[in-house]
Amino acid sequence: MTWLCPRMCTPQHRYRKMSDTEVKTREGLTYDPTQDCKLVGAARALAGIKDSITIVHARPGCHCGVLLLRALGSNQNDIRIVGSGFRAQDMVYGAEGRLAASIKLSYNNFKPSLIAVLNCSAPAIMGDDVEGVVQAMKREIPAEIFSLSTGGYEGPAWIGYEEALSELTRYMVPGETESDKVNLIGFKQDDIKSSADLLEIERMLNSQGITLNAVLTNSSFGELKKAPKASLNIVLGGDGLESAKIMHEKFDMPYVITPYPFGLNNSIDFLESVTKSLSKEVNEEFIAIEKNRIKERIERIFLFLQGIYDMSVAVVGDAGRAFDLAKFLSDELCLNVKVLAITSRNHISLDKTKTNDGYFETLLIEPDRFEMNEEIKTKGVEMIFGSSMEKKLAWELGLPLFRIFYPVIDEVSISDAPYAGFTGTTHLTEKIINSVINNYIEV
Amino acid sequence: MMYEQEQKMEIGSKKGNGKNVGFLRPLISAYSTLPLHGITAIPGKISGALMVANSIEDAVPLIHGPIGCAFQRKINPFRPYLPFYETPCTDMNDLEVIYGGEDKLSLGIKETYEKYHPNLIVVITTCASDLIGDDFKSVIEETKAKGDVDCDIVYATGDFVGKTKPVGYQDALYAIVDQMLCNGIGIGQEKEEIDKNENSVNLITFPIHGAGLKVAEMASVLSEMGIKINKICFNHTTVKDLYELPKADLTITDYPMAWARLMKERFGVDHYEILAFDRYKETRDPELFSPYGIEGSTRIFMEIAQQLGKEGEAEEVIARRKENAIERLSKVKKGLEDKKVACMGGIHGIGMSMLSDVGMKASVIIYKTQALESRLTSDAINEMLDINVGLARKYGSDPEVLVNPTIEEEIKAIKKTGTDLVLSMGASAHKYNKEGIRTFDSMRFTLHHQRIGFGTPIELAILLKEALKKPQRRNPLLSMLEYDSYRNNLIPEWAVLADMFATIREGATGDMVMSENVYTTT
Repeated sequence: MTWLCPRMCTPQHRYRKMSDTEVKTREGLTYDPTQDCKLVGAARALAGIKDSITIVHARPGCHCGVLLLRALGSNQNDIRIVGSGFRAQDMVYGAEGRLAASIKLSYNNFKPSLIAVLNCSAPAIMGDDVEGVVQAMKREIPAEIFSLSTGGYEGPAWIGYEEALSELTRYMVPGETESDKVNLIGFKQDDIKSSADLLEIERMLNSQGITLNAVLTNSSFGELKKAPKASLNIVLGGDGLESAKIMHEKFDMPYVITPYPFGLNNSIDFLESVTKSLSKEVNEEFIAIEKNRIKERIERIFLFLQGIYDMSVAVVGDAGRAFDLAKFLSDELCLNVKVLAITSRNHISLDKTKTNDGYFETLLIEPDRFEMNEEIKTKGVEMIFGSSMEKKLAWELGLPLFRIFYPVIDEVSISDAPYAGFTGTTHLTEKIINSVINNYIEV
Repeated sequence: MMYEQEQKMEIGSKKGNGKNVGFLRPLISAYSTLPLHGITAIPGKISGALMVANSIEDAVPLIHGPIGCAFQRKINPFRPYLPFYETPCTDMNDLEVIYGGEDKLSLGIKETYEKYHPNLIVVITTCASDLIGDDFKSVIEETKAKGDVDCDIVYATGDFVGKTKPVGYQDALYAIVDQMLCNGIGIGQEKEEIDKNENSVNLITFPIHGAGLKVAEMASVLSEMGIKINKICFNHTTVKDLYELPKADLTITDYPMAWARLMKERFGVDHYEILAFDRYKETRDPELFSPYGIEGSTRIFMEIAQQLGKEGEAEEVIARRKENAIERLSKVKKGLEDKKVACMGGIHGIGMSMLSDVGMKASVIIYKTQALESRLTSDAINEMLDINVGLARKYGSDPEVLVNPTIEEEIKAIKKTGTDLVLSMGASAHKYNKEGIRTFDSMRFTLHHQRIGFGTPIELAILLKEALKKPQRRNPLLSMLEYDSYRNNLIPEWAVLADMFATIREGATGDMVMSENVYTTT
């Protein structure tokens, strides 16, 4: 296995051995990023609070960028992103007054339960007293308001995501724990197929007599405040781990890190981890029925599945989901994951690289896009699993692109066919085969 | 030039071989209803500057700032349907914000050169690097002096062109002329050193999707007049092409551009704007905002010819082309004569002169001012309305004028006047269709067809006839949704976002323009 990693190794450690594994760092300082900045990570976390408004306190470009991402990659009837009207002259005099006006307008127009102010590079460097504005506005507005420092230079998106979820724990109130109720942490409602995935995850949990309490984030602010009522936090793929740890400390809530349930075995692993953490017996009958259903579906297309056996693929996505998808592709569909590029880390991604059991060949962590593309080009890949950002690479190589990671801005999903869980296993398989056989070629 | 040939030129022979035509237009249209620009948001300068860098085939941008400024701008509001895949950045973090990012910029330039081997690196600065006071000019000069980077380097900060919009776009072009084309050439000595391409022009259009389609006919007419085409930008434009821009006698742009004025100052290359804001200020002639169609194009071609002293040759060519177009038009417009259309007020849609070319009458003008009120003075808004109505009357129509009507008021007026067709944006067409009123997508026409030349009204006539024959659509799924009463293409949430944006931006210096430059693009 080759490992290309940008930030955690110094240049002199660019090549090192990890058992029989060669490890390489990202070369150079210039970075064509495969991930966004702290602002977008925080905005993604906040977007899932259904009755919240996010104010982007920034020059127009940042507000426009976040709005555009949301409009193209999410539900177009649920935007809730507002700017503060920060202008060039405010670079000298500050924009605290504009921010206050924006908070007022947001409240008057949307009556949200929560207003989150994301303080971006320009006002953060200038030193706008954003917290002062927040405190002042709290006296005028009957909604919770908080601010987060999200200057682009402060870090990548996953840091912003973790910080936003951690901030939410401040509002949680202890309550009587209800057995077999769980919270889901690390769910992002702007991932493609997210609502269908959530329905499937809930169905799977219900099959074990477990119900969902709050989803971080796909809940109202009131529901999130009552998150401590649950008896377990499920941390999907490791995303949002920091908030689970805080809740553990504050409310004595246990947590379990599960795979994102891509494929049959990740789904079983998901259910077994959750039931074990709740000291419940897993409902084997349900799993057997689901397995049979998958078997019956797979039989209908077994010739094609045999046909794509050992196909070489690249997986380009965030740590919370890409490791698990790669495992499904390798272990169950028996594809050859030549390159696994983790575009955005999380707190457990390094541990995952250490426990690699051979389901990928080369691992890139937060790679430079240019270097990543070069790597993929040399590997004889036949299909790419990525985001809309891999469209050009796929076109250049003449390969099908399966859009499954954020951001997806050139595909919509409004049907209830998930990628996650048992039902997702057949849907993923179906789409993968179709992506291959749909193509027209001249021979 | 035939339309099919022009299409091939648009897509470019190198990559698409014309095979992408069927995908490109619906792809662009699918993203065209996003209510962003000046409605709910304003793109930042990086987006505009990236448009320029991306339009030069052998140039690479280098964003001097944090990763978000590079990643987020890959999805560009000027071209949301096609991300910018190469946006390297200097990955500015908190250390650079405190100690400065100059070393990183220098190293970034060197690495960008070694990695991409471009002929031009466009350094685009960001809020972070602007605020900490990095000395971009000195870094670039010193990096060049070290001799490791064998390509041109310019930097765009957004500060070179004042409030000229789009700022980032204008600024990057200005930077290229100022720092690259004029580099080392003093004022006064250029003319001797430049090997002029006599009687030639540069044709410049906004690089949203290939300039070829928009200027192919224009280039053909000018060539017949004996006016050579020096360069068409941006149509597979390279750095070498940019260096040859000063060889022309005249640069023709869609609207006033700071870099074109600089070309005149430094190289003596005159400029001509198709939308003549400056002349409108002096003459108040509304025709200056009507450059399309038979008469509009005639005026434009003649004015260009006059500027180059080619009136004699031009008269004959224009007369012949015009006669030919009128003859073709007379055949294709049969069945359109005296049909009534309702159209939206404003300057960017299909003009009254074009409607007159195809023999149609404007029966209703629907004028919506909400999106303009925070950015234009009331005088400017009224003046724009007067221009629309004045031109309609001049071309033989006597329309009913509705200002900020509800959809019910629109439908009532449209039915009362016996209107045959509504020229509407795609976003609101279903409202009319549901009431049994046919529509024509004016946005699609202006995006893909409208240009200077005599072919445009012919294409318009063909497309309008098709629209009049389209089957009735009484059950559009879109009509199941609730819409805002006034911004009736928007669902309530977006309408609120638009209202809030207008309020938040209200009174912004430079936003509220006076009537004389009312049509400046934002």
